[in-house]
Amino acid sequence: MPLSKNKQNEVQDWQAMFAQWALDAPEGPLKRYYEAGIISPDTPLKDTPLLSLDLETTGLDPSKDEIISLGLIPLNHKTIRCNGAKYWIAKPVCSLNAESVTIHEITHTELAQAPRLHAILDDILGALAGQVVVVHCVSIERQFLLEAALKIYGFPLYFPVLDTMDIERQVTFKPWWKRFGRPLSLRLDACRQRYGLPRYKAHHALTDALSSAELLQAQIAYHMDPDANISAYWV
Amino acid sequence: MDVELTEILEALCQHSPFYEIADDPQLNDMVRDIEVRYARSEEWVIAPSALNNTLFFIRSGAVEVLSKEGKLIRRMNEGELFGYFSLLRGGKSSQSMRTIEDSLLYCIPARWFLKLYEENDNFSDFFELTREVRLRTAMDAQSSDVSLMTCPVISLLRRPPISADISASIRNAAQVMSEHKVSSLLITDQEELIGIVTDRDLRTRAVAEGLDYDTPVSDIMTRNPVIMDSGDYASEAVLKMMERNVHHIPIVKNGRPIGVVSSGDLIQKESHGSIYLISDIYKQSDIEGLQAISRKMTHTFTQLVVADANTQMIGNAMSHIGTAFVKRLLQLAEEKFGPPPVPYCFIALGSQAREEQTIKTDQDNAIILSNKYNEEQHGEYFKLLSNWVCKNLDLCGYELCPGDIMASNTQWRQPLRVWKENFSGWIQKPKADALLRLSIFFDLRGVYGDKTLAAQLNQHIRREAKQHSGFLTFMARNANQRKPPLGFFRQFVLDGEGKQSRTFNLKERGIAPIIDIVRVHALACGSNSLNTLERIEDIEAAGLLPDGRAKDLALALEMIGMVRIKNQKEQIEAGKEPNNHVNPENLSSFEKRHLRDAFDIVSRQQEFIKFRYAGKRS
Repeated sequence: MPLSKNKQNEVQDWQAMFAQWALDAPEGPLKRYYEAGIISPDTPLKDTPLLSLDLETTGLDPSKDEIISLGLIPLNHKTIRCNGAKYWIAKPVCSLNAESVTIHEITHTELAQAPRLHAILDDILGALAGQVVVVHCVSIERQFLLEAALKIYGFPLYFPVLDTMDIERQVTFKPWWKRFGRPLSLRLDACRQRYGLPRYKAHHALTDALSSAELLQAQIAYHMDPDANISAYWV
Repeated sequence: MDVELTEILEALCQHSPFYEIADDPQLNDMVRDIEVRYARSEEWVIAPSALNNTLFFIRSGAVEVLSKEGKLIRRMNEGELFGYFSLLRGGKSSQSMRTIEDSLLYCIPARWFLKLYEENDNFSDFFELTREVRLRTAMDAQSSDVSLMTCPVISLLRRPPISADISASIRNAAQVMSEHKVSSLLITDQEELIGIVTDRDLRTRAVAEGLDYDTPVSDIMTRNPVIMDSGDYASEAVLKMMERNVHHIPIVKNGRPIGVVSSGDLIQKESHGSIYLISDIYKQSDIEGLQAISRKMTHTFTQLVVADANTQMIGNAMSHIGTAFVKRLLQLAEEKFGPPPVPYCFIALGSQAREEQTIKTDQDNAIILSNKYNEEQHGEYFKLLSNWVCKNLDLCGYELCPGDIMASNTQWRQPLRVWKENFSGWIQKPKADALLRLSIFFDLRGVYGDKTLAAQLNQHIRREAKQHSGFLTFMARNANQRKPPLGFFRQFVLDGEGKQSRTFNLKERGIAPIIDIVRVHALACGSNSLNTLERIEDIEAAGLLPDGRAKDLALALEMIGMVRIKNQKEQIEAGKEPNNHVNPENLSSFEKRHLRDAFDIVSRQQEFIKFRYAGKRS
């Protein structure tokens, strides 16, 4: 089933918004991020610089919980380059309960020795500049980063995203009269299995970034047109 | 912050050669240079005649290797590497690679491959070692050091030999034996070994016969006893005892006896009774007794496998047992029907002749009659004798030959003269189909009666075969009929047409092709040996094959044979009839990998004989 492309009128004008935010943002890393701009919406998917991103948090509520690790891995429509992979750990302000430590496989010692998020967000923004971000489930990642930027710079961070979960939702969508049984799971691991991708240990930000990057490769191979404009896919 | 792509590193290190170099800190840097690629099914990864600069690791999915001509060479799945051949040759690729499933590939840059190849022997070994060397190393590592196979017979000696001079009387001899508590006594003449006396000899040849105890011991000793050299292996002693039905063998070093090995010493070492089985066979005076022994055969067989005997030894042991049955039945037949009116030789064909029998074999045999044979006068006797022997061999577990190649068939009970004519006909005017059926006649061993008849016939065959290269061409072509499988793919056996099957016949697809190849070379060099490994030695000595290639055949045979024997042992233990069918699901990854190497050796050597004995080219 071909992926339905975004209708032009729904598409936000990212280039214009970045230009505006570049003017409005306070001096510093966030301003520099917006000044770097974003690619034109008519750039073909195959020429788009992509960056897969995943973050681990202390919980699910972006207003309360904090980012504790973030992984990035660059890719294009054909290959994922481990060479540009990046990974950060951030020490949360509130102490972490034992339960989420086991989930994330990050130890208390590692966290205790890590810098605070504000100390590394500069680097993260530097890496994100000019890239289209790939995530699985856009709402989580985008909101946590938005909250973090508001807290640290007093100004929002907002960027265009290819959401592998949303892509999967569209390609597996069936009208209600054709549905039967349980709906297909859209969890990262479940999506990967549909494309014959191997099972990875979840809950490590860099591994999960690699996971989503691989999923996007498979989705491009099956459902997407590398020559189509990036605006057809980003949200 | 250190960036570690643990998921990728761990996946790589689960497989050779990265497994072997997992502690190399450079691997982390290498992983950072990896590119990950997703390829849908039926996509070229290395297109025909394309240049390649990447070492590919299959993280998931499956890839097929095709030759320049588009022929399937093999299939690879998770954990396998490809592309290194071309990297070692500057990027030029003679094979092409295509996904046959959606696959996730880790692409390792050529420079990393070449760097590790340069710097790390454990890494380069994996790519550098030819299949032959890999197989050899693996087989060496597998054999244990405590088995009879590797234990020299000298290590079993517990004391210096006890001997008496030729002038001693029976009483003196018995006194020496009881004084030293030994069951055998060497008889020497001025320090030279001339005979042996055992407890049993004293009983049966002296006491039971009522001999005067002052009789010279030389009257009851066994002259020119079977001896072995101190350098021989214990396993050879077992086989020799089975072959000659003796229980004591003097061991000689530089021509002088240094001790005696008894069957007891070997049995302690090994805990199986194959030596006693043979003497039990000769003690039986009726079919019921022989049948009872034949039911113990599977036990003997599994004991040998458990004792870590190699296939050569097991093949020899099983053949000696088979031969003992034949001999005993013929002795009983001659008691029943009277002595033969003219000399004859009962011959074994095929695996028994090669001394390579396993647990489950049909009988293949024939009779060479003396040229004095006269159908009208003697025909009835040999008909009765051979029918009786073949029928009873069947009762003892050696099933009737489905192709009717048995002494009970008049066609295969002929005077030497006719046999020679038959062979001359087969060799001088070869017909492919007929030869296919007749190939087992070229493995022919006299087992009972006038063995010079068999020797004369073998000599005739060697001479004729060497002179007629056209015959060798046919034999070489026939040796190419049964192709080994390409190897394994997942839980299946894969053959050249890309067909997959659940099980395969190790004998048909692996062992028989090797035996066929070796037979052709053996006939070409006029070897007198029948056993495949002995033939391989002759072939090597004759220089028929490039250096080392003859040994490779022996290794491949041992590898495939070992898997077959283990499989049969497991079938027996599971209460099933042993056969030659193997299910790859029951093979270890060690066995799969090395079987594939062995098959590869077989198919290349098949190719080789096609050209080597190509016949006239116009």
